[in-house]
Amino acid sequence: MAYEELESKINQKNIAIRYNVKLEGPAIKPEEHPEVIEILPDEEPFKSIALAILYEKKDETLDLVTKALDDKVSPLDIINKGLMAGINAVSALYTKGIYFLPDLMLSGDAMMEAVKECEKVLGHKSETKGTVVSFVAEGDPHDIGKNLILMFLRAGGYEAIDLGRDVPASKVVEAVKKYHPVFLTGTALMTTTMTAFPKVVDALKAEGLEVPAIGCGGGAVRKDYVESMDMTVYGVEAYHTPKLADAIVKDHEDWRDLRKNYSDVVGEFVPEYS
Amino acid sequence: MKRYTKMEYDSPEEMLFGHAKYPVKGKRGIEFGAGHVVPIIKVAPGEGTENSKETMVSECSNIARSAAARAVNVGLPSFMIEQEHISQQTNNPDWTGACTAGQAEILEKYQEEYGIKIALQATPADIRDEEKGSGFRTSDQYQKVIESIEQSAENGADVIGIETTGGKSVSDYGISRGDIKAIIFGIGVLGSIDMEYMWTEISSICKKHNVICGGDTNCSQSNTAMFLAGGLTDKDCSHTFAAITRAVGAANSLVAVEAGATGPLKDCGYENPIVKAISGVPISTEGKNAVCAHSDLMGNLIAGVTDAWSNESVYHREEMGGTTPQVWLQATGYEAALMNTAIEAGEAETLRDLYTLTDKYRDPQALVLAYDNAYRIGQAIVEYGDDPYKRSIAAALEAGKIINEAVDSKKMYLTRFERDTLDSAINTLEKLPDDSDKFIKQCIRRYKRKVPDFDPKNYEL
Repeated sequence: MAYEELESKINQKNIAIRYNVKLEGPAIKPEEHPEVIEILPDEEPFKSIALAILYEKKDETLDLVTKALDDKVSPLDIINKGLMAGINAVSALYTKGIYFLPDLMLSGDAMMEAVKECEKVLGHKSETKGTVVSFVAEGDPHDIGKNLILMFLRAGGYEAIDLGRDVPASKVVEAVKKYHPVFLTGTALMTTTMTAFPKVVDALKAEGLEVPAIGCGGGAVRKDYVESMDMTVYGVEAYHTPKLADAIVKDHEDWRDLRKNYSDVVGEFVPEYS
Repeated sequence: MKRYTKMEYDSPEEMLFGHAKYPVKGKRGIEFGAGHVVPIIKVAPGEGTENSKETMVSECSNIARSAAARAVNVGLPSFMIEQEHISQQTNNPDWTGACTAGQAEILEKYQEEYGIKIALQATPADIRDEEKGSGFRTSDQYQKVIESIEQSAENGADVIGIETTGGKSVSDYGISRGDIKAIIFGIGVLGSIDMEYMWTEISSICKKHNVICGGDTNCSQSNTAMFLAGGLTDKDCSHTFAAITRAVGAANSLVAVEAGATGPLKDCGYENPIVKAISGVPISTEGKNAVCAHSDLMGNLIAGVTDAWSNESVYHREEMGGTTPQVWLQATGYEAALMNTAIEAGEAETLRDLYTLTDKYRDPQALVLAYDNAYRIGQAIVEYGDDPYKRSIAAALEAGKIINEAVDSKKMYLTRFERDTLDSAINTLEKLPDDSDKFIKQCIRRYKRKVPDFDPKNYEL
């Protein structure tokens, strides 16, 4: 029987349905989404700067920010009212499934470049919600998950310190002493590299150090393994990270609370926590 | 090095599971692509077993013993164990040798006692670090990878494989930002340069030890796109972008064959149907019986032209039905039995087509790997076969064309995100320079700035 003949007999709807297409709403301009309307400022130049971030236009963002700085607009206002408003709007659209990871990454790239320009005028680093330190487990070279976490954290208003790949526990300890992070994140792809997590916990305890939580996730990492030690919480998606950090900073939750409240904190159903 | 400039198969209809133009036979008698499908079991060592050589050797031996016992208990005529080495093994090549020897000894005992045909694939980890100044081709890590391959070949492996990672820092950047230029450069150019270098070395080691020079995969790159693309409602990588990335991955994985690999190609290379269409070598694939490791949108389709059917990877632990080597070998074994029954009964073409049709329109990533479309992408690659850069673009454009045709005929439906990223990628691809040197110069400037880990010296550029 020819391939085409077989195909002609099949009703695809009884085989597979592309629900992402089926449920897609009508196209709207991003700035017209109700949540984005709430977030975007009315005042110029902040509105144009936020829109340039929303449309992922790095060059335009830098031009607008440079002009605003030349016009003596406060660099802190540019960051808080323009750049952060833009990235908050991007994050809102990402959460709604209207924007996607590349949108977030490109907007994030534009925001980070523009923040650097503002900080040059400011003469120091801008204020953030807090510092988070991120590392990939010792022995593990896979870092795309960690890189996504860094971008989500920075877009969420955190100073994110990147310790890189294949990071020994001693380096994590040094970073905790140096940065006093509100949150640590560790990623591993393999069962045999996730064993670096208890080594980090033990090394911190040996130095008498404690952090509110260490988010551990990635590849083959399991919740039951992560929860077999203190100080840790199993992280399911990279984009959950700033929400977990918010819960620590705003609501003073720690690893025990996050383990109990994970789904509520990230605001969605998470099968691993059901 | 020979480059493929024509197809080894005359038509897609010639392609069938269990059959390859150029079958290979291992030293213990097992054959790939010679008329039957071989099930594969792959199990990751449990946590804690990496602490010492003794615990690692014991763990690997237990995996082999469990799998062989279940294979006999459910009557499998043949199977292959693939041991994907963890970094601690490759970092200690003597561990690799001892683990391989221990597994080979167990498998030989089962083969002697029951006559079951068994093969052992050893896959050392690519532990090289792409970081600037790391010396991709000269570092201690590179030497350990090569030494581990030697140890595997000397100590009883039948097949040698690897998942090389050349170009990954650039392609990761491209995947997370939807930058098709980074995909062509990271996978099509850098990945191909690295794979040629590595496989020239690996194939000479395999020949020296008379072991099967298996193959490589674009796992570290195309599968990153597939994993980020996730399910239908996930929000990360566009599925059309992942489909195009997969086609570029085929232009890359073909390099291993050009440099001496004979198959079975690595299981996680979802691009393998394209490589098989071009080269005629046997392939391993994974789909519905790899749900223990990850989700994909082509669980049946990817079995259509396979020669060895795998579970990808699973923790070594207990499930209700036994240990994971037992449970998942039984799953791949029964699926291979279905395919082999269809072959014996003369119904293999029908089963191949049913496998294909279950998933063909589930997702663009599946569509481009349906064997007829895989063949078309293969044709696009060989048209520019001499130039890894141009053949990568040709593969990507053909994948885009296949998706657009299915959309026009109302068989494939795309979201706006998928539609926009496809149009944008095609638009960029059509404007890329004809001259690869010009493209490489542009990309070195661009990605040295954007990707901190990218070091052109690692590729002698």
